[in-house]
Amino acid sequence: MPYRVALIGAGGMGRIHLRCWSAIPDVDVVAIIAEPIESAQSLIKQTGIVGARAYQSFDAALHDCNPDIVDICSPTATHADYVVQAAAAGKALFVEKPLGRTLVDCDRAVAAVEQAGVPAMAGHVVRYFPAYAQAKRSVDAGAVGIPATVRVSRVCRHPGKWYGDHALSGGALLDLSIHDFDWLLWTFGQVDHVYARSVSQPPAGVLPLDYALVTLRFKSGVIGHLTGSWAHSAGFRTTFEIAGDTGLIDHDSARTSTLSVQLQKPTTPNVPATLQKESPLAPADDPYFQELKSFVDSLKNGENPPVTLQEAHNAVRVALAAIESAKSGKVIHI
Amino acid sequence: MSPRIGIVSLAHMHAYGYLTALTRSTSATFVGITDPDGGRAQKAATDHGTRFFENPADLLAQNLDGVIITSENANHRRDLELCVAAGVKNILCEKPIAATIHDAQAMLDLCARSEVNLATAFPCRYSPAFIRLREQVASGVLGQILAIRGTNRGSMPGGWFVDTELSGGGAVIDHTVHVADLNRYLLGSEATEVYAEIGNGFYHQSWEDTGFLNISYSNGVFATLDTSWSRPKTYPTWGDVTMQVVGTGGCADFDMTAQFLLQYDDAANRVHQLGWGSDLDAGMIADFLTLCRGEKPISLATGFDGLMALRVAAAAYESAKAGQPITL
Repeated sequence: MPYRVALIGAGGMGRIHLRCWSAIPDVDVVAIIAEPIESAQSLIKQTGIVGARAYQSFDAALHDCNPDIVDICSPTATHADYVVQAAAAGKALFVEKPLGRTLVDCDRAVAAVEQAGVPAMAGHVVRYFPAYAQAKRSVDAGAVGIPATVRVSRVCRHPGKWYGDHALSGGALLDLSIHDFDWLLWTFGQVDHVYARSVSQPPAGVLPLDYALVTLRFKSGVIGHLTGSWAHSAGFRTTFEIAGDTGLIDHDSARTSTLSVQLQKPTTPNVPATLQKESPLAPADDPYFQELKSFVDSLKNGENPPVTLQEAHNAVRVALAAIESAKSGKVIHI
Repeated sequence: MSPRIGIVSLAHMHAYGYLTALTRSTSATFVGITDPDGGRAQKAATDHGTRFFENPADLLAQNLDGVIITSENANHRRDLELCVAAGVKNILCEKPIAATIHDAQAMLDLCARSEVNLATAFPCRYSPAFIRLREQVASGVLGQILAIRGTNRGSMPGGWFVDTELSGGGAVIDHTVHVADLNRYLLGSEATEVYAEIGNGFYHQSWEDTGFLNISYSNGVFATLDTSWSRPKTYPTWGDVTMQVVGTGGCADFDMTAQFLLQYDDAANRVHQLGWGSDLDAGMIADFLTLCRGEKPISLATGFDGLMALRVAAAAYESAKAGQPITL
């Protein structure tokens, strides 16, 4: 019997997950829950997915469709409620990062899953990005000796919409940099303290931006630096560098284009022909596909899911500590 | 007028860049070098067509218009006092200006009393890309500047650089001052607070090889700066100087040494970056010669600029010790 998936959220991430679920054997998406319901209906229509019904109410979808898996891709501040509800209904659940907007929300989510004893995984997809996965493996294997410093950076343009409301999204430090906080914790262990500075301009302004620099001290002694930016109009770029007592590893997404195309004539009228750069992977190596497939595999094999909600909780804790430091100007001990 | 210039000490490797710039300059008279290591100084003098003076007093008696001091950090003050006593009126001192704030202040006071022009060697100010960055910031296209993420990472230099009696510290005192000066020069604003994490994870010695600084400026800008000696022995170059400048109107990335060829060298079993960017020392030395002619230099850093940069490094040590930000 295929796993029946109820997908909550029809935004950017819901769309990506729907594509991946369709590619995983033994999985059927049976419900898409979104508000307004029209966004779920239009997603179903656009993707031509068969057998999925649109809902506005998660309750109704639970009642009607009896899903095995609940996949939560809604805005951050709503995650905890859905986790609590799905866990109480005894469903396996997958929740997008960040686990919650507040530590109270994260506590509720972790407790609900523990109490219900349901399998649960958090969407820290960067662990499945090959460069980041390779770096973690290499560091573990001693490729840089004993690590001394690590620098990570993740920059893009401001996403607008609800992301600009810090009360909902936590800004770039929570929404964007949570990827790096999780990868840092996964690779270098626990953080002892953080110091951070940040600046933002609300999206209501002409030029919205959000930019943060965080200094981290790990319990191991490693010193870290993180850049989180929604101020880079030219688009998405990630870099990292890990330096240790016998070597150094670095990564820059800007130099990973395996295909660059420039056309004599623009493909769309009135749009200037620009340089298109790509760094494609084989479909089976797609990080989002890998992530969701590893969750399904863990269910099939009766194993613990690869990224626990407690780990997601830990990442939120560090991100919120950075936000608190940026606000207070104080060093925050974790 | 072609100013008569001497060099006091070759202890700092940057001296060799200045020797070359002086030799190439058509507007300087390169009088000579004095250095406690007669062997290396004689060779450098021969290579650059100038004279070696075993006794510093003999060089300083040559009616010099200007002297470049490139001794160990802790010896800058002693050498400066010698120059001032000998009547030298223009002095370019290697960075950091001194090993301690106390020495730096004493040097500034002496120069002020004796009407001596004191300059600090901050050649990064002469990077054509930095000059362009500064123009763009001044033009307002980046809007109001909000934040700067800087790096001045390097290789561990060894020698007296890790003898803290002579250097005053490790990677933090060695590498804080360049970008601290660039930030200040770009913003026209003073550092008000410093927070730093310091470590020794690369070489596991008593001196620090790692420095991650946070610097706040009086105009509200915040900055971070990585001063670590984190480049491995196999790294293709000595290090870097970078600044990511974020403003309300856009972002700029300055990478001072990005103009290079890559050389794959089987003989050395290494890959090297062969830099082909403009010679920053040449620009700085030309500006120092301007000062020596009694004219106004374009962007030569003063002794006060050197002191302001050193204050950031000193505050970083204090902060790391206290585990708290330090107000300047």
